[in-house]
Amino acid sequence: MQRDTLVAFDGVIKRFGSFVAVQKLDFEIRKGEFLAIMGSSGCGKTTTLRMLAGLEAPSEGSIRLAGKPINDLPTWKRDTPMVWQSLALFPFLNVIENVEFALKMRGVGKTERRQRAEKWLDRMQISEFASRNVAQLSGGQRQRVALARSLVVEPEILLLDEPLSALDAALKVRMQTVLKTLQRETGITFVYVTHSQSEAFSMADRVIIMSRGKIEQIGTPQEIYRTPKTRFVADFLGSSNIFTGDVVHADAATIGLSTPSGTFRLNAAAGGAVKTGQQATITVLDTKPALSLDRPAEGRNMLRAKVIGEEFVGATATIYLETAGGQEIRVQKSHAELSDLPVDIGQELYVSWSQDDGHLVSAA
Amino acid sequence: MRRSVSLYGLTFSLPLLLWQLVFFVSPLCFLVALSFWTVKNFRMQPDFDTVNWVTMYGRSVFWMAYAKTMAMASFAAVLTSILAFPFSYAAAFKLSETARRWAVFLMVIPFFTSYLVRVYSWQIFLSDAGIINVMLGWVGLGPFHLLNTVGATMVGYLTLAFPLVVLLQMFSLVFVDRTLIEAAHNLRSGRIRTVFAVVIPSARVGLVIAALFCFILSFGDFVSPIYLGGGDPTTLSILITDTTKSGQQWPRAAVIAITMIITLLAVAFMAVRFAYKGRTK
Amino acid sequence: MSDQRPDAHQRSRTIDFALKAYLLLGYAFVFAPIAASFVFSFNSDRFPSIPLGSFSMDWYRAVATDPLVWEGLRNTLLVGTVVAIISTALGFGAAYTDYRYKFFGKQAYMALALLPPTIPVVILGLAMLAFLSRVDLAGNAFAVIISHVVICAPFAMALTRLRLSQMDASLEAAAWNLGASEWAAMRHVIIPFTAPAILGALFITAAVSFDEFAVAWFVSGLNETLPVKVLGFLQGQVSPRINAIGTFVFVTSMTLVIVAQVLLTGRGAKTEKAALEEE
Repeated sequence: MQRDTLVAFDGVIKRFGSFVAVQKLDFEIRKGEFLAIMGSSGCGKTTTLRMLAGLEAPSEGSIRLAGKPINDLPTWKRDTPMVWQSLALFPFLNVIENVEFALKMRGVGKTERRQRAEKWLDRMQISEFASRNVAQLSGGQRQRVALARSLVVEPEILLLDEPLSALDAALKVRMQTVLKTLQRETGITFVYVTHSQSEAFSMADRVIIMSRGKIEQIGTPQEIYRTPKTRFVADFLGSSNIFTGDVVHADAATIGLSTPSGTFRLNAAAGGAVKTGQQATITVLDTKPALSLDRPAEGRNMLRAKVIGEEFVGATATIYLETAGGQEIRVQKSHAELSDLPVDIGQELYVSWSQDDGHLVSAA
Repeated sequence: MRRSVSLYGLTFSLPLLLWQLVFFVSPLCFLVALSFWTVKNFRMQPDFDTVNWVTMYGRSVFWMAYAKTMAMASFAAVLTSILAFPFSYAAAFKLSETARRWAVFLMVIPFFTSYLVRVYSWQIFLSDAGIINVMLGWVGLGPFHLLNTVGATMVGYLTLAFPLVVLLQMFSLVFVDRTLIEAAHNLRSGRIRTVFAVVIPSARVGLVIAALFCFILSFGDFVSPIYLGGGDPTTLSILITDTTKSGQQWPRAAVIAITMIITLLAVAFMAVRFAYKGRTK
Repeated sequence: MSDQRPDAHQRSRTIDFALKAYLLLGYAFVFAPIAASFVFSFNSDRFPSIPLGSFSMDWYRAVATDPLVWEGLRNTLLVGTVVAIISTALGFGAAYTDYRYKFFGKQAYMALALLPPTIPVVILGLAMLAFLSRVDLAGNAFAVIISHVVICAPFAMALTRLRLSQMDASLEAAAWNLGASEWAAMRHVIIPFTAPAILGALFITAAVSFDEFAVAWFVSGLNETLPVKVLGFLQGQVSPRINAIGTFVFVTSMTLVIVAQVLLTGRGAKTEKAALEEE
């Protein structure tokens, strides 16, 4: 365990009857980091967070906070305040009373707790709403109250359970900036659970991707994006083209993979060790391939595919293609890059990428 | 969260449990025991004798009362359901949100009046020189013998159960998926036919439960049969009060009471089965 | 709203009119006896009917000057208050148990908690009277309190449970998370949130107890148990005084119910509603 570890999950398993929600979690949370736990519904991310908060007890394994095991510590004795998905603000208390609540439970005196609450209201820029009832606030304002309420005790760690999921797109982006700045300024460790890739990748220092109770990959957003470790991760991120096939040659410099769509080469350094004859999967980020009418230069990986659809988001376009063998390809381009290329549905094009652009995923 | 039993949890869950066990279950169990006691010289003594059961079940008076009560309660359940339905339908589908809230509030008011007083009031309406006969007299009709009839008893049952049945029916009608009705209309099902083909089946659970409650209330009621029906026909509830009044025959009254409870449980069970037939709760 | 309904073109004016007329008919049927009782409480005739006699407060006077009635009233108020407090407390506990816990036998527990109102009063009365006589508790206010709590607690439970289901599913956990122990969370979060329902339950159980009981108790005024009382009543101690008593009981109960309503849709709940409508 490193010196800057705040929380350690050690062999943690959680079962609900015969259903295993979390299978053998081993990971650490570092002091002062913004960690996101990401995955689709049912992957176990919320269960993990709840175990940290004390709302569920691990079936096996131990959780340590600042070195001390907290398995048997009830929720109210842990210092792990949470921001809830529904915010769970107390409707019968006004804003400042909500924020003071945790201090009141700790026995802090009236004047002191009011002062501390006011300080946080000011910091979250909602001082003017202090005596309002929470029901009268907008979604964004309520978020800030929820944050202030949890942070007023100045904890070492803050847990967040998909708090932005109910907000509209513009507000979401604004709140992401607020959260990121807050975390940087206070230095409090944030553990943020979400199913949204964009939220996790834009705010977190490290991301844990979970699926069916297991950790698929832990790393910085860049690492995960560029080098997904498993096929699941690549699929989940949805921004890569995935090819599965047999390794036809593997030496120190290059790896060759024979797939139904063609034989492709990638640099050996871009993946793990494989042997000839093994099954392997490679991924190619959708921003890498080039599209052309004419046959690309030799030495490039290439295949032919037909355009089956396009999608426009802001200034970028994603072109969907399909090979004769049914392999789906996606290529992301800016509008400028596509201006000379005919990309109507049915158009046949060459898709090509260089050896440097592929990445070997460890297990199929 | 906390799997083990805690003092905290027990503090909240035990009191009602204990109260009901001691003051609800025990008296009913005692009733069962009581049915096996014997009465000698107008005094009860603990015993285990089936004489009360044999005697009571051997009496045609008992079976007549049983049959009559069954018939009247069943009829009341059907009648009330039918009479309440147009009312509940109108309230659920034809009123605005605010109007509906008022409708519900008005229908809750009767629960806070005394049933006895309302039945006494009906006497005023139904008696030979009562309001209805006087009004009929103005147009040269009657007087009709309205009081002390089965019909009058039915009026009493209606007074007892109509508000509850309406509220229960309304509650389930309000939740009928409106898009189903639209779809039916779209498929050229006429208004009336849609009611029978779509609305009633959708709300079946609530409608059956409402009828069940009416049955239960009517089956056990003694105020209407005595007060408006004049004690004729003799219902099981009247039989109980008669049996207790004459010669302290509490054990025999217990037999009647237990038979009533078993009947009600059986009817409730079958009604709930029927209500939920083919769908999950 | 009524004319923007999707099936607007399907509606027949005649049917609508007929249904609304039926509504009025239904209310007329339900309120006729209540209205009659009210009117005849002020009517001088010993055997009420139409045409009405003269306006008279005689029946109210008769009731007000009867010492047995005052004693009955005092007993009823005492019983009502005690029943309200006990029923609400027991009902609250059961509602919270249903809300929070899952355990073996929970269905049986719930059945036991909600069953009493389905047993006919005459049977319950018989059973209680027999049982309580054996343990020497019959014939006094205790017996009445006991039986009434059995009947009223389910109502308190239902009302409280309804309110709890309106609570944010994470609210209690949020309190724990912020440092409140279970007892502290109950005191600072659950009870403040359910306060309107608790208050409502107190008033409604009091009203039910008051009503269920008042007339029979009043009519005889003796310190006897309910079933015996009612049996005696039915043997002919009827008089128009019952209208006076009935009206008085009705007015009192309605006041209690309206107060409960006002409290339930009071401060907290109203701002919640307003906010929901804003969104």
